[in-house]
Amino acid sequence: MNYPVWELTFFGGGLTIALMAVFHVFISHFAIGGGLFLVLTEWYGYRQNSTAIVDYVKAHTRFFLLVTMILGGMTGVGIWFVISLINPATTSILIHNFVFGWAIEWVFFVAEIVSLLIYYYTFGRMNRRHHLLLGWLYFIFAWLSLFAINGIIDFMLTPGRWLATGNFWDGIFNPSFWPSLFFRTFVALILAGLYGFLTATALKDEAFRLRMVRYCALWLLTPFALLVASTWWYVQALPLPIRTMLTQQPPELLVAIKTFLVTAPLLVLGGLIMTSKLPQTATRSLAALLMTIGLCYLGAFEYIREGSRRPYTIYDHIYSHSIPKKNLGTVAKTGLLKNARWAQHKEITGQNRLAAGRELFFLACASCHSVGGPTRNIVKLTSGYNSIEALAARLSGLDGPNSAMPPFPGTAAEQTALATYIFEVLQQRNDSAAAAALPPKQHEVPPFDPATSQYVLLGWNEYGMHTISDSDAFFTLRPPGNTIHAMLIKRGPTPQVISEGIDIHYTVEPGSANPDGQVEFWKHAASLTGRELSPNTGLTGNGVSGLMRVAADGRTFSATEVPLVPYQKSGGYLPYPLVTLTAVERASSAMVATATMVAPVSSEWGCRNCHGGPWRTAAGGVSPETAENILAVHDRYAKTTLVKQAKAGKPLRCQICHPDPRGEQGNPALPSLSAAMHGFHANFLKGRGADACFFCHQDAAPHGATRFFRGIHNELGLDCTTCHGVIEDHALGLLLTEQQAGKKTAAKRLARLKPRRVRTLAELKPRQAWINEPDCLGCHVDFQPPGVSTAFNQWTASEAELFRRRTDNLGIPCAACHNSAHAIYPTTNPYDAERDNLMPRQYQGNPYPLGANKNCALCHTKEMKEEMHHPNSLTMFRNVR
Amino acid sequence: MNPAALIPAPDPLQVPWGWFQLLLLLTFFLHMVAMNIMIGCAVISLVKQLVNPAKNQTLCRDIGNKLTYAVAFTVNFGVAPLLFLQVLYGHFIYTSSIIMGACWLSVIFFLIAAYSLAYLHKFRFDTWQVGPRRWLLGTSLACLLLIGFFFTNNMTLMLTPAAWPQYFRHPGGFFLNLAEPTLVARYLHSMIAAVATGGLFLALLAHFQKQLPDGERRARIKNGLHWFTYATMVQIAIGIVFLLSLPKPVLRIFVGGNWLATLLFSGTLIGSYYSIKFGARERLWPATAALTVTILLMILVRDLARHAYLAPYFHPADLPVTLQYSPLVTFLLILVIGLGIIAYMLRLGWLSTKEGQS
Repeated sequence: MNYPVWELTFFGGGLTIALMAVFHVFISHFAIGGGLFLVLTEWYGYRQNSTAIVDYVKAHTRFFLLVTMILGGMTGVGIWFVISLINPATTSILIHNFVFGWAIEWVFFVAEIVSLLIYYYTFGRMNRRHHLLLGWLYFIFAWLSLFAINGIIDFMLTPGRWLATGNFWDGIFNPSFWPSLFFRTFVALILAGLYGFLTATALKDEAFRLRMVRYCALWLLTPFALLVASTWWYVQALPLPIRTMLTQQPPELLVAIKTFLVTAPLLVLGGLIMTSKLPQTATRSLAALLMTIGLCYLGAFEYIREGSRRPYTIYDHIYSHSIPKKNLGTVAKTGLLKNARWAQHKEITGQNRLAAGRELFFLACASCHSVGGPTRNIVKLTSGYNSIEALAARLSGLDGPNSAMPPFPGTAAEQTALATYIFEVLQQRNDSAAAAALPPKQHEVPPFDPATSQYVLLGWNEYGMHTISDSDAFFTLRPPGNTIHAMLIKRGPTPQVISEGIDIHYTVEPGSANPDGQVEFWKHAASLTGRELSPNTGLTGNGVSGLMRVAADGRTFSATEVPLVPYQKSGGYLPYPLVTLTAVERASSAMVATATMVAPVSSEWGCRNCHGGPWRTAAGGVSPETAENILAVHDRYAKTTLVKQAKAGKPLRCQICHPDPRGEQGNPALPSLSAAMHGFHANFLKGRGADACFFCHQDAAPHGATRFFRGIHNELGLDCTTCHGVIEDHALGLLLTEQQAGKKTAAKRLARLKPRRVRTLAELKPRQAWINEPDCLGCHVDFQPPGVSTAFNQWTASEAELFRRRTDNLGIPCAACHNSAHAIYPTTNPYDAERDNLMPRQYQGNPYPLGANKNCALCHTKEMKEEMHHPNSLTMFRNVR
Repeated sequence: MNPAALIPAPDPLQVPWGWFQLLLLLTFFLHMVAMNIMIGCAVISLVKQLVNPAKNQTLCRDIGNKLTYAVAFTVNFGVAPLLFLQVLYGHFIYTSSIIMGACWLSVIFFLIAAYSLAYLHKFRFDTWQVGPRRWLLGTSLACLLLIGFFFTNNMTLMLTPAAWPQYFRHPGGFFLNLAEPTLVARYLHSMIAAVATGGLFLALLAHFQKQLPDGERRARIKNGLHWFTYATMVQIAIGIVFLLSLPKPVLRIFVGGNWLATLLFSGTLIGSYYSIKFGARERLWPATAALTVTILLMILVRDLARHAYLAPYFHPADLPVTLQYSPLVTFLLILVIGLGIIAYMLRLGWLSTKEGQS
């Protein structure tokens, strides 16, 4: 924000620092432990009266001098150079707060050089006592260098009280100072043994070589127990959030943690092997191998330490994008470009959006991310996002769950500009998302003669849309299975609901009658559902045509889990297949009524927006690429092995683990599927309206291939949020229930979201998906025209109050006359405007609810004076076309 | 674009700026001396290995032996002034370093190369032929000269925010401040000063090398002082060019615009005069004293020039201070103790050399 950014692109800031730092750390620790090794080995040689040992130390000193002074000393300065180039703001804080710490370290550095040079050049020429004294002085100064620098390094991880006091000593003697000092001292001793192997294995005399190799092995092995103890102490000194994060082994640090844990015993093992009598070539190779393992060990430790303070460079003080924590709010509100001194484009316009996006990338991302490079490659990391909007959404939730990244330090417009730059320039892709072209469809209105027809046969689907996930080889979120309902009413002054002596058949239109040919569900059904299913058969044994059963209420007929998919035999995409209902008098086998209804089914989940991959088919569906990525992300964060299981032919249904109130117990310790999904994804969709919903429920989007929100409420300008609330509130309501149930992750998720339409979390009513849904009567109080503009936060108390379960005063289901939720009459179907209005069109020649406009005669065959069904039912329809 | 708007906001100091100024000047003096010896000795040795390698074999070996020390101490003594420079001028030096980031970071790699080659040259001096040796030393010196050039670039770039907007055309860190009018003269001024100092150092070295035959010793002192004298003469010419290339507001302070600056600058001229005079008369210690005084005055003059350059934008006295004296006191204590122990170690080393000789 304060400084220009060195545009490194391929190398990125992270790798540039790491390359310099890893080598320096590996050598500088050797410079300390090796110092003690020199003086003690020299003393040992004198004590043993062994010229061979003293000669060995002398030779080793030369090696030590060259390695530590050339590579160690210069890379030490190099780290300073590189951090000031990549993170000047943090470097400036370290320099200004600890200038005298650095200065003290410099004094030790001078003394180190002087003592080492004299030690080396006077070896054998100075009296032993003085020479040993010089060796000790070298070691002491080297260790004191560590003492000084250790305070500053660990300050970045655990600044402790300095955050409040700004006091030099609070910063230096921070909470992890002592454990870190001990840890690094023991590492230094171990490295002395490792480096010692390099020179000891080169010795010519076999017996002496073995003796010195064993001597070096002692250096490697002896401090290990102390090292383990100091590691434990170190971890205990860390702030609780960091400790918790480490115990959860976040994916960003997983490789480093595993490397750290694996290489430690390997070093011990290697040290033990070195003590045995081996050929020289073997010991030399093993010595080199152990050096490499040691480098990995220390590199992994430093990576974990640095990673533990993410997203900060100084924990809780300044973020990795160089914006102090205290300034983030202002910057996010007023914009990074306005606040960055070195930004040329202060305002984003249509003309400069790519140039501004480029500036934003270098200001906010480049200190960690490379462009096409080996570390944190932004091109690879963002390649899954299929649109600028999706990428911008990801940027809006950078600090989302499981994230080691800082919050995006800018406005929504800056998120979009950055996303545009990444998408169009770095990824060379075009965001050419256009509204889906929907081929027009035809329908026929079945016959009905108000004068002569004796029956009214009504049909409706359980849901306004049943969205399947056809990623069957990987998982299923919801398998094919529409539930359709029907009711037969015998017309007359006192109409009768008929359910006895009548069979109602259903038949899916031929073009949609072969779902098995379109999806792989039946191939994986056994694994996904736990039961063998014949092709084209639903979970309850129903096929694409058959007999409806009388429901538990004894009045309606139902066919559950009718296997429908939106794919047609012809290859087309049709989310609104027609189902013909036929009522047949059982005794006479005479058809007494027929009707046609829509059984809506879609596969337009928007997972691919962020999880990558194409649609599975031309118009919709979750492709294997998308599905695998979803499972991989799940595996990464939840430590599952879903990808492996799927690839072994054992894909799962999400509800096997995540409970679903519609009869799926799952694992009671885990959040419900709906809470898990909304609670996680809401982090990336904050501050939005209905467009947040469309990211995932793309079948509801007005530009999609389904556009399932097709009823009167859509026509009146309502959207998802009118009834369900905005995404944060929607998710919070679900999470509150999970929290009350004692689910662990709920609190973590709750902490990251803030309610929007209510002031406090306490004002939000906890809810369960599919049970506590928007209550129609919340707006339509006593069935009257709506008095409020939102049904949000007024949930149905039980399943019985749901629109799809509720009936009028006479037991007629609401949906029988009004159609399914999201498709309330009058509807406008995106493929065929009147397709969802077939029932009212058939029976009353208009698209309005059955019986609307005082059309009581439809069933009663005469005008009625009493509002028997529900209040306000004997009025003229308000929203006429 | 207004360059002043690009200057980052600085962080506060812990003690008043004068402390850092003092420490900066003192440690920079040490760095300058070590750097001058390093470059100067390397140049002289290379010339001698090119001109008459057989005759200069012993001298060049001696120089080679000392060169690695010089590199070590140049770097070490460079750390402290760079630290104090960052404290006072961090917002300038970080910015200029980033603008030339690739070149600036390459300093480390050239330094490792130069240092390694200097050691190779030292350890292989008697086993390798003069040809490869020249290449070793020449490459090492080329690296050091390049590092010096990058330093000159950075030290001028940090003083000239007007050049900073060039960053927007060269954000990859490969920008060098080549359009700076003082760049070449300033660089040459530093490098020729190094040759002069290197010559004097060789003369001083010979003075203490009592084991050398008298004739050889005297010849070395004489030759060293010749290098010193002639290089200082050239230095005056380059110095004049450098002076005249300074921006007018900066130049003005040395020619009467500011009495202190004018006085100090006059002092450097007098110091140079006496350096040449004593050098030409082969008076080693007076020449050494003259050079020491001249370097000290030059450092002060250089610092005043920096203040004059940055006057439109900044003065270290503007920096906010959040007082904490205890770290400074601790540093000074450790410095005194450290210097005492270093002196003791040097004495041990010196005594062992004498023991070795006796």
